[in-house]
Amino acid sequence: MTRFACAALLALAACTSPSERASVTVFAASSLTDAFRELAEEHRRRHPGVDVILSFAGSQTLRLQIEQGAPADVFASANPEHAAALVAAHLIGAPRVFAHNDLVIVVPRRARLRVDELADLATVERLVVGTAAVPIGRYTDELLTRIDDALAQRIRARIVSREHNVRLVLAKVALDEVDAGIVYRSDALSNRDVAIVEFPSESAPTAEYVIASVGDEGRGASWVALVTSATGRAVLRRHGFAP
Amino acid sequence: MRTVQATRLVRAPAGIAGVALLGLVVSPIAFLAFATAPEDLVRALQDERLLSALVLSVQTSVVALVITVLGGTPLAWWLARSDRRIAGVAEVLVELPIVVPPAVIGVGLLIGFGRNGPLGVSLAFTTTAVVFAQIIVSAPFFVRSAAAGFRRVDEDLLLVAQSLGASPLRAFARVAVPVARPSLVAGIGLAWARALGEFGATLLFAGNLPGRTQTMPLAIYAALESDVRVAQSIALVLAAFALLVFGALHFLSREAR
Repeated sequence: MTRFACAALLALAACTSPSERASVTVFAASSLTDAFRELAEEHRRRHPGVDVILSFAGSQTLRLQIEQGAPADVFASANPEHAAALVAAHLIGAPRVFAHNDLVIVVPRRARLRVDELADLATVERLVVGTAAVPIGRYTDELLTRIDDALAQRIRARIVSREHNVRLVLAKVALDEVDAGIVYRSDALSNRDVAIVEFPSESAPTAEYVIASVGDEGRGASWVALVTSATGRAVLRRHGFAP
Repeated sequence: MRTVQATRLVRAPAGIAGVALLGLVVSPIAFLAFATAPEDLVRALQDERLLSALVLSVQTSVVALVITVLGGTPLAWWLARSDRRIAGVAEVLVELPIVVPPAVIGVGLLIGFGRNGPLGVSLAFTTTAVVFAQIIVSAPFFVRSAAAGFRRVDEDLLLVAQSLGASPLRAFARVAVPVARPSLVAGIGLAWARALGEFGATLLFAGNLPGRTQTMPLAIYAALESDVRVAQSIALVLAAFALLVFGALHFLSREAR
């Protein structure tokens, strides 16, 4: 029993000790998942000796983890505020804007109700959006303040749930449990079970993505360079991000 | 003499291991308590979102608990008394929700009780959905504990009570329930706590709308995305509330014994 416990402890210690190989650890907002996975392949081709470790979560969660000393080399945030807070704490270098993401309406592929424009959201049975605590929810609220007050009021009345992240909004639309949702374009493109309805671009707010190296060692430089290169921009564009 | 020494040799490491585990289990809440400033706590307590989430949590978890006890007591009685193989199968089935991740249970509920479900009822995104999710994840704890309690009831005592003129229901209430009471109380406590803490299935099936489906765990998760300190404070309020109720239940089950 004791021997077994010791063996387990040793295994645990081995897992947590840093590996001998060079690596770059990227903390990125969940919405970047597909694009960054593709870029990781490219990074491996360019730097064969370097492991890429990707960790995706909400930008706030990543910020908290970095504040608590998580071993990140790069921070890619869907929200400039979180990066600014880490700059103020001298934990990351100067952030660079590397992508934008538009808001779009998504409806189930075989929708039971017609949604052609923003105003149609007032007539759906069930609408889901993000909660005000997360960026997608804040952008949605901002959108609703930019349109006619009475219309915004009627749209708000159709909201049946304010989800904790974009993927949860998307999942409920894709399952056809709700008639419409508001998500980022990149997320909408990632799911085959939903169709996109565009906003007029003047009323829709845009999410700004920033990237920065964490710490002073510059281990994240190769990743930041790749993301901001022509190749990086092309991959991001293919996944629905605007430059 | 040797056995006494052996006992002593075992006792110290065993004690250390026990205390270490207790410390580990308590540590996250303790660290949270130390890291939260009193003014943050006051600010969180004045937060309107907290109050509506707390009220909803208490209401839904109590309704879920009542339904669990009403259905779980006869089920546990049957599981404890029946020798048939189907009872063994049922006992394993009822414990499945303990193993399956709640988020997956939520997806199952959404598929079954959503508007495209085979049953033709649409419960998703309602307060009823919250209660459903809570019952499913918490009932196994009550049924398991109650069945263990009922297994300690002596068959002969029940027969004696009935031969003295007590109806089967009266015999159950007067003979079986007192014997099983500590297990029943423990099961109620566990099930209620699990319902109060339920997060994953609710997130998927009931969604997150303040006042209607946003329970405490969902409010804490939402706060975590915007302000960690508020989330910390709300979590401490939930922990303190649970501690009070658990303390009372523990006391009750001691009394019952």
